[in-house]
Amino acid sequence: MVKLTIDYKEIQVEDGATILDAAVKAGISIPTLCHNEELSPAGACRVCAVEVATDKGPITVASCNYPVADGMVVSTRSEMALKARKLALEMLLAQSPHSEKITKLALDAGLDAPRFSLKGDECVLCRLCVRTCQEVVGLNAITFIAQGLNRDNKEACVEWDADKCIACGSCAFICPTKAVTLCDNVDTRVIQTPNTKMEFKMKACTKCGAYYAPEKQLEYMAKTAKLPIEKFDLCMDCRD
Amino acid sequence: MSSVVFSSWEGQVVDNRSGQHAASAASDIKVPLKYGDSDVAAFISWDGLVLADKKVSVVALVKAYIAEAAKLACGECSMGYRGLAVLADILGRICGGKGQPGDVDLLLDLAQNIQKNVKCDFCANAVIPLKDALRNYREAFEKATSGNEVIPNIDYIKKVTAPCQEACPIHQDVPGYLELVRNRRNTEALKLIRRTNCLPCVTGRTCVAFCEKNCVRGDIDAPLSIRALKRVPADMGIIQPQPFDKGAREDKVAIVGAGPAGLSAANYLARLGYQVQIFDEQPTSGGMTFAGIPSYRLPRNVLALEIEHITSLDILMHPDLRIRHVEDLQKRFKAVLVATGAHQSRDNGIDNWNADYDTLMEGVSFLRDISCGKAIAPKNQVLVVGGGNTAIDCARTAKRLGCKDVTIVYRRGRHEMPARDEEVKAAEEEGIKFQFLAVPTKIHSQNSRVVGAECIRMELGEPDASGRRKPVPMKNSEFTMSADMVLTAIGEVPDTSFLDGALELTSWNSVKADKNGVTVVPWLFAAGDCVSGPASVVEAMAAGKRAAESIHAYISNNKKLSSELALDGVLHDLSLSRRRRGPKLPSTKRLHPRELPPDERVQGFDEAEECFNVQVAAREAGRCLRCYRVMLIVKGQG
Ligand SMILES: Cc1cc2nc3c(=O)[nH]c(=O)nc-3n(C[C@H](O)[C@H](O)[C@H](O)COP(=O)(O)OP(=O)(O)OC[C@H]3O[C@@H](n4cnc5c(N)ncnc54)[C@H](O)[C@@H]3O)c2cc1C
Ligand code: SF4
Ligand code: FES
Repeated sequence: MVKLTIDYKEIQVEDGATILDAAVKAGISIPTLCHNEELSPAGACRVCAVEVATDKGPITVASCNYPVADGMVVSTRSEMALKARKLALEMLLAQSPHSEKITKLALDAGLDAPRFSLKGDECVLCRLCVRTCQEVVGLNAITFIAQGLNRDNKEACVEWDADKCIACGSCAFICPTKAVTLCDNVDTRVIQTPNTKMEFKMKACTKCGAYYAPEKQLEYMAKTAKLPIEKFDLCMDCRD
Repeated sequence: MSSVVFSSWEGQVVDNRSGQHAASAASDIKVPLKYGDSDVAAFISWDGLVLADKKVSVVALVKAYIAEAAKLACGECSMGYRGLAVLADILGRICGGKGQPGDVDLLLDLAQNIQKNVKCDFCANAVIPLKDALRNYREAFEKATSGNEVIPNIDYIKKVTAPCQEACPIHQDVPGYLELVRNRRNTEALKLIRRTNCLPCVTGRTCVAFCEKNCVRGDIDAPLSIRALKRVPADMGIIQPQPFDKGAREDKVAIVGAGPAGLSAANYLARLGYQVQIFDEQPTSGGMTFAGIPSYRLPRNVLALEIEHITSLDILMHPDLRIRHVEDLQKRFKAVLVATGAHQSRDNGIDNWNADYDTLMEGVSFLRDISCGKAIAPKNQVLVVGGGNTAIDCARTAKRLGCKDVTIVYRRGRHEMPARDEEVKAAEEEGIKFQFLAVPTKIHSQNSRVVGAECIRMELGEPDASGRRKPVPMKNSEFTMSADMVLTAIGEVPDTSFLDGALELTSWNSVKADKNGVTVVPWLFAAGDCVSGPASVVEAMAAGKRAAESIHAYISNNKKLSSELALDGVLHDLSLSRRRRGPKLPSTKRLHPRELPPDERVQGFDEAEECFNVQVAAREAGRCLRCYRVMLIVKGQG
């Protein structure tokens, strides 16, 4: 066990926990954007910034991926922490001015409008979709391409591999900016990402004829559950 | 130019704008002020900026630098990625004559806070020279912002490198491929690796990894497992053919020696379109990677496939053909590269050493015999003389042959062994014994069979030229070790008889050539172990490539200094500090690939080390700090 102080409150947590884990345990709330309990931390958005005292003076760290240490002193509401959070949200809001979630977080942080604007689509590169696809769905259909030297891509982005994608829609569900959307047009599911539009055939229920799930998703489910595909012929309503 | 106008390099401000400190000559500042033959008018990089010519606009210089840095921010955190984009934007509008009131304060505020809140080192470092400039040249920025005048772009030379990349003899883009491995884009990672490395599977298994010794992460916890990480994309792509532009040139180049130096030169020249032919006296290509490095570290099918990638570039191979007189090649080839390695053993100074005995062998011959499939009956007691990697390879190989008792006899102590630590540990795990501070002096034999070796104990005296303490024999300390086989691994020298005196040699019998492989004979070039003495695969590859560049320059009659070579000097002066100025990061554990357990691996020659799986590799690669250093150099008039 590790003992630390957050906002003057003494807390005991397991070794290896993050500052955010500890805060949650103590009932102290820290705003987050790219964090999700089910996923590994990414430290991408920097919204969860907190102040930590060190022998070289105070620093800010991302609480969602910074591990606790014995005797650590953390402040979640210090001027330094709030300033860091505000700047993080300024970057995000400039990139994705239409996101309700970001707008709300920004208002909470006392930010109405960013001092600058940014070009490009609304994707903030939080990689929630990437991690969901890899860690929850168990596929590697979405990958992050960093910007770098000698690369084919010019800018950092998130890329969908249409061959691997099963159209489950988890990415659209988790995306905080609606940069990925899903739309079912009767017999087709359309997934629109910042850089591609993908269409998938839907499966019709053999009994009532309603289109109820993407064919590829059903195939994937049959394969992972080791069941014959016929087991997935009926929609939820027609199954007994 | 003798003095510097302004410098903030390494946080040390030298301000000579008033011209009063004429004493602050260029030599005070640890940055290069020469680029090839030209003076450097200005220089800007991760640790500050330097101006040597007053006429260079600081605002334009900083704008160019931030714009270049913004192209390299990875995107892992929006603070850095968007932050640099915003800074580049604001600087762009200031230089475009469209600055807005408050821009200078905004820049400073953003730069300070971006530096404090980014995820890793690159963007944190990138804003340092901007901050320096804003603090020390505030008037210039204010004037530019309110002036509504367009500030013209400046011409500059750009270089991007990293401490690991600089340490690597073939300068691989280490942070680049680690990032692709982290993001599970291994196909692209391999493509990137192949740009500079034609033996990724070989180096992914056996490289001495200079990069790891220079890895900045080592200052926080432990260096990245760079070598093992390279193996992940390499192994995934081993059967992928490589595209290449078919040769357009008539010129023929001969390469003597199919080791890493020769292969790397051939790869480079064939890609340029030359007709390349390789001669090797051995039936199998690979040089010491085949004949020396044992197959439990480098499986032969892997090596063969990797070499096939190279030879498939229409390279004509002549195995089993020893070149006896290098002049014979001159008539048929435009240029000849000598890449013959160092294979000849030195006199071991042991009395009664009878080279006719097959139980008294040089270590490299023993390893070559095994590699060539020769059967050697297991012995009871084997002594291996030496303390380097070859000694360890001999001992571990003997163990795998079924020899009961294997002892390494080394004249210095454990601490002084030149062998890699992990190799020594692996040998210990496999039950190999060590007799330190001893040297065999005489072989004992009975009825034409070796029965033991007389040894003498040593003690460590004063440090010698290499800085290591010199072993000196202790009087009356003789003792006998029983043995039925003795192998010596005390270093090899090049065999240069086929040169017939065409080239000058050093006292170690190695060929005299400069670092670009150029010799005193215009058409003759040399590279690899035959020049450097026994070194490493990656150094041989680097030397081979540089020699190939020299051959290309010689044949195409192009004498121009390549920008890479001009920058070599610059980088040398900078010694690319490892000093971190990035955010505080928690310490993490270095991940290692799994190994077969010792009792299992000594049963045979199966590969001992496994490859990381993709997930574990992504996690380990995630520890990289991405220490790219961008530098811009503005050339002066001179
Ligand atoms: C036992 C052992 C283990 C090693 N382990 C490692 C390791 O783990 N990692 C690492 O980085 N390095 C290692 N090395 C060192 C590395 O193998 C060498 O530094 C490297 O192979 C040198 O490459 P080269 O091309 O200069 O010469 P070589 O690889 O020696 O190749 C020279 C070739 O030239 C041929 N040749 C010579 N003379 C003639 C002639 N007259 N005509 C025709 N052909 C000729 C030879 O047959 C040979 O094939 C090891 C070396 C040994 C001996
Ligand atoms: S942390 Fe990454 S970029 Fe930095 S030196 Fe190590 S491998 Fe290179
Ligand atoms: S929630 Fe911690 S960095 Fe995004």
